Amino acid sequence: MRPYLLQGHERPITTVQFNHDGDLLFTASKDLVPSVWRVENGERLGTYNGHKGTVWDLDCDRFTKRLLTASADTSCRLWDVRTGECIFVFNHKGPVRGVAWAEGSQMFVTISDPFVDHPAKICVFDAPEDQDPSTYTDPPRLEIELPKINGKVVKPTHVHWTALNEDLLVAFDNGQIRLYDPETGDLKEEITAHEKKINRLRFNREKTLFITSSADFTSKLYDPVDLKHLKTYRTDRPVNDAVISEQKDHILLGGGQEAMSVTTTSGKVGKFETRFFNLVYEDEFGIVKGHFGPINALDINPNGRSYASGAEDGYVRLHFFDKDYLEKKDPVPEEDEADEDLDVEDEEEEEKAAE
Amino acid sequence: MPPAEDLDRLAQEAEELDGYFSDAPLDPKPHYPPLRKTFETSVVITNLPKVPQAKLEKLTNVVVKLTTKIGTLVTNEATQFNGVFMPFDEEKDSSLGFCIVEFATAEDAEKAVTVLQGYSFDKKHQLSVLSYSRCQQLEGLDTAAEFVAPTPAPFEEKPNVAEWLEDPHQRDAFVLRFQNETVVNWFDHKSDPVVDYDGSREKEQGVAWCQYYCHWSPAGSYLATLVPDKGVILWGGKGYDKIGRFVAPGVKRVVFSPQENYLLTNNDDPSDPAAIKIYHIATGNLLRAFALFPEKEARDAMPPPFLWSFDDKYLARMGQDLITIYESPSMRLLDSRSLACDGIKEFQWSPVANIIAYWAPEANNAPAHVDLIEIPSRQKLRQKNLFNVSKCNMVFSPTGDYLAVKVTRHTKSKKTFYNNIELFRLSQPGIPVEMLDIQDAVMALTWEPNGSRFAMIHAENPTASKVQVSFYDMMKKPDALPATGVVGAKQLKKVPQAKVPELNKIETLQGKQCNYLFWSPAGSTIIMASLGDSASGSIEFYDVDSKTLVVKEHYRANQVLWDPSGRTVATCVTQPLEGGHFKFAMDNGYILWSFQGKQLYQESFETFYEFEWRPREKLLSKKDIKKVRQNLKTYEKQFDKADRRRERARYLEETAGKRAERAKIRALLDRNRTLLRRQRDKHLALLQGYDSEDENNYVFVELTVEKILSSKEEVVM
Repeated sequence: MRPYLLQGHERPITTVQFNHDGDLLFTASKDLVPSVWRVENGERLGTYNGHKGTVWDLDCDRFTKRLLTASADTSCRLWDVRTGECIFVFNHKGPVRGVAWAEGSQMFVTISDPFVDHPAKICVFDAPEDQDPSTYTDPPRLEIELPKINGKVVKPTHVHWTALNEDLLVAFDNGQIRLYDPETGDLKEEITAHEKKINRLRFNREKTLFITSSADFTSKLYDPVDLKHLKTYRTDRPVNDAVISEQKDHILLGGGQEAMSVTTTSGKVGKFETRFFNLVYEDEFGIVKGHFGPINALDINPNGRSYASGAEDGYVRLHFFDKDYLEKKDPVPEEDEADEDLDVEDEEEEEKAAE
Repeated sequence: MPPAEDLDRLAQEAEELDGYFSDAPLDPKPHYPPLRKTFETSVVITNLPKVPQAKLEKLTNVVVKLTTKIGTLVTNEATQFNGVFMPFDEEKDSSLGFCIVEFATAEDAEKAVTVLQGYSFDKKHQLSVLSYSRCQQLEGLDTAAEFVAPTPAPFEEKPNVAEWLEDPHQRDAFVLRFQNETVVNWFDHKSDPVVDYDGSREKEQGVAWCQYYCHWSPAGSYLATLVPDKGVILWGGKGYDKIGRFVAPGVKRVVFSPQENYLLTNNDDPSDPAAIKIYHIATGNLLRAFALFPEKEARDAMPPPFLWSFDDKYLARMGQDLITIYESPSMRLLDSRSLACDGIKEFQWSPVANIIAYWAPEANNAPAHVDLIEIPSRQKLRQKNLFNVSKCNMVFSPTGDYLAVKVTRHTKSKKTFYNNIELFRLSQPGIPVEMLDIQDAVMALTWEPNGSRFAMIHAENPTASKVQVSFYDMMKKPDALPATGVVGAKQLKKVPQAKVPELNKIETLQGKQCNYLFWSPAGSTIIMASLGDSASGSIEFYDVDSKTLVVKEHYRANQVLWDPSGRTVATCVTQPLEGGHFKFAMDNGYILWSFQGKQLYQESFETFYEFEWRPREKLLSKKDIKKVRQNLKTYEKQFDKADRRRERARYLEETAGKRAERAKIRALLDRNRTLLRRQRDKHLALLQGYDSEDENNYVFVELTVEKILSSKEEVVM
């Protein structure tokens, strides 16, 4: 089926996200207005107007009531999904890179870049649904400052809560992943997952696995319980985003030649395709072309029937899977299934009979 | 006697003797010139002709003339000694066939030993020169003692370097150089390549395996790996055992002789008088070393390369107006003189005979010419004069039957250029030459490896984006003979019509985008490739016989390499080992294609330097090949069966491995899910009691969708 080409943004797409029910798609871009689309027909339902800078990240709560957006205008805004009204503005000291609701959607975490004298920060805010928004407080409940390492600024690139809000999982531009305690702010664990910047870090919906995407041309699958590295998916271009399929043992990777060097090379070099990998066997089995800029964001519908990709070219492509993809089986038959053909012994017997 | 008289006489004597005696002590030793205690300034020249008294003076004068070219001789006018002492046997009236020459300095004497050694004095006499001191040593030699043959060194079995040809699966091998690795792979032309050897033993021992490029020998017997600090190491046999080590500091390149007898190493250092070294592979002996540039040669251009003749007999290099040819294994100048070739620009050996082809541009009113010269007779087999030539390129066909010379000519104004092709038929008496006139610029010309066809890329101007590819055949099928009565009767006999040697065009493909042509070693198939950084990377597989075309693409490919059997072809994106540049950094890797253009395998590397198929000798005779052709069906069945069996074994193994991996992941997911399940109460509390598994939270709507699958109208009678 032909994908819906969502032409609503005027600048590069920064992130795309399906809501939990899979009927709405939220998109953010460098053009200041996050948008919401109906997945079924690809129409734009509305925009959230108010930001004065690039919107880097967004997160919609479990019941699609309240939306959080993180912007380079040093604010994080809370919106009513249905009306598009801004409920509250959480001001920061630097550009806000990422935002994530905690499970239960009563509090959330943001990460902000260093700005002038202010170091990079991780902040946890309370935003209980039953409390009057006007009584929300700007200063966060918890603030973790991120000092320089060896005189070098370390920027957080993406943040998530682990299952049951036990930890904060933060990815960094030096290839590190760190676990922080959301109550005390203590650093609990730290691993170096990549040689270069980690662009994105994503859980599957049930939070039993997470995947990183890095500028070192690879994506890595991790076990969130003991932060153990499980699989590596290799490409030949920087990976900007990767998602774990909900219904199949598949991984979707998106990326391409960095935006800044695209203009100096011809179109083919970029490799702006969505790549499909087998989660277990780490082999690439398909690509979907279409974008003409590096893919910045990917998400797969929780129902497993569609996926969206947003790219530097400003387009969001909403793809619906074909029947033969949905019916695709694991390439390795289950043990109880009979092994395929290739039965040499039979042939030999046949030959003997022929003689 | 009265005493007075005595006294007088004594006084007289004393007076007479006065002045004869002095008080100073007597010096009994005479003053001689200082005596030289060694004979280092003298040499002995032997193998001179034996001449009678009458001719002695003449011979002496010739020797004097010869030796004074090397250095000053010691002469003595008083004794009439002219520096050459020629012993003479008066009884037999004959000189003894040797002479002693005394030079003024020891350096000149040394020089004489090296320069005159092996000099052809006349047709019968080749000089042998020894230093005098060496003669003294030889004098003490006990010639009477019985000769005891030295015991030969115990036999050491060398690894069987042809072992790999006995591979039960008839696979081909190739070597890869990527990152810090050098890996030899097997490839069965169907499934994924399998590692044969990756230098693991050497890595474990911490010794050198390969630190620079590596190369196969022409028949695939050896793998030469370059270690610039030390030299070249040859590996071979089943386990890639070390077969030889050749010292060559700073080595950059190696060239094997075609029959694998000799190895030439080159370190590209113009200041090193032994930049190029020739080794004998079996013994490991250094035969001779050369400087990078021949003497007198201008040093700004590329150094002229050494080229081996097809049978390893000769090694030749171009100099100014000459070709120096060295004979193996002595590595001496053939017949002690170079081959004079006035104005030579380039030369080539024929791939099947000791024939040299060279060309020289117009000079001193003589036209430009292409010459074919037979070695060692130095007989000129053919000369072709050409006019208005600015450049020639010579291409021998791999069978050695033909030589194509692409002649770039200029118009009288010397502003515009055009090409034509001179085609020599070497296998025919008199070597006839045909001229193929193409007004276009010819960008590439290649011969079919086992046939009489050639292909070339041409276009109106060399920078054109769309080019034409033309195919020609040197042999022509005779036209159907006119159906007259007599000839018709002959035709009935069905005599197989032999092809006649006549150049004819097969076809021209228009509007192609390619800059290189690669014939399959099996012939018939050709790849038209567009290689290089700015090219499209299109790879077109064309079968000249069946005229089928398959177009594929390997973006940024810069190499196309056929395997020796012509079954598989590799396209690579490689970067140079030295002077890496960001523009090379992307897309390194290779793709393997079947000769029909089907992609078989693909691999990428961060940095990829080299891909080389292991070459294979053609071991079957023409008769054997014919036999195989006849029984092709039987072989086909055998091989198919073996392939299937192997494929199945591989599949089973792989499946088992993948299943294990899958089971691991599944177990992990189960564990994580169970962990979360146990804490489900907590999860529900966070969601304020909302349970997605509680059916009461869902609204069930029943919908009936009716769809007509098919309809059929029938007329009821």
